[in-house]
Amino acid sequence: MNTRKLALLFLLGCVFVPVLQAQIKHIEMRVEGMT
Amino acid sequence: MKQHLGRQSGVQKVDVSLIDGKVDVTPKEDGQIDPAQLLKAVYDSGVTVAEMDVTVRGKIVRDSSGNLALQVSQNQSFAIAPNDLLKSVASLADLPAVVTVRGELYRKPAGKQKAAASAPLKLLILEVQKKE
Repeated sequence: MNTRKLALLFLLGCVFVPVLQAQIKHIEMRVEGMT
Repeated sequence: MKQHLGRQSGVQKVDVSLIDGKVDVTPKEDGQIDPAQLLKAVYDSGVTVAEMDVTVRGKIVRDSSGNLALQVSQNQSFAIAPNDLLKSVASLADLPAVVTVRGELYRKPAGKQKAAASAPLKLLILEVQKKE
């Protein structure tokens, strides 16, 4: 029973962890009129 | 402008290069950052944004009208402009795979045409850095 639960947790982790880590990592802007 | 941007939510660090007019924004590790809000903040400080590039990690998804988008979080996604690089990631649509791409999110319209700051930002993929 515990093995089943662990396997389910592992599968859910594989699916959701990458989405949780999704993010904007860097933003670069070129601007005009800056003094 | 640096202070103005630094006050925006999700911003960790802002680097400004006066020589080449470049502004680098480093988002917080776990923070939510809104590029549209940054654009507005720059405009509000009296400076014109000519171009905005982002490096972003997310999932390729199809929106309700079947167009591809890059989903960054539950409530943040960017429509992707069609090009050859989009074709290379289109097969990952709605799969759990995550991609890291560098792309252009905004470019000032050519000529004297006024930029529509409120128009939705569209991501033009320039480089696919990683597929996981």
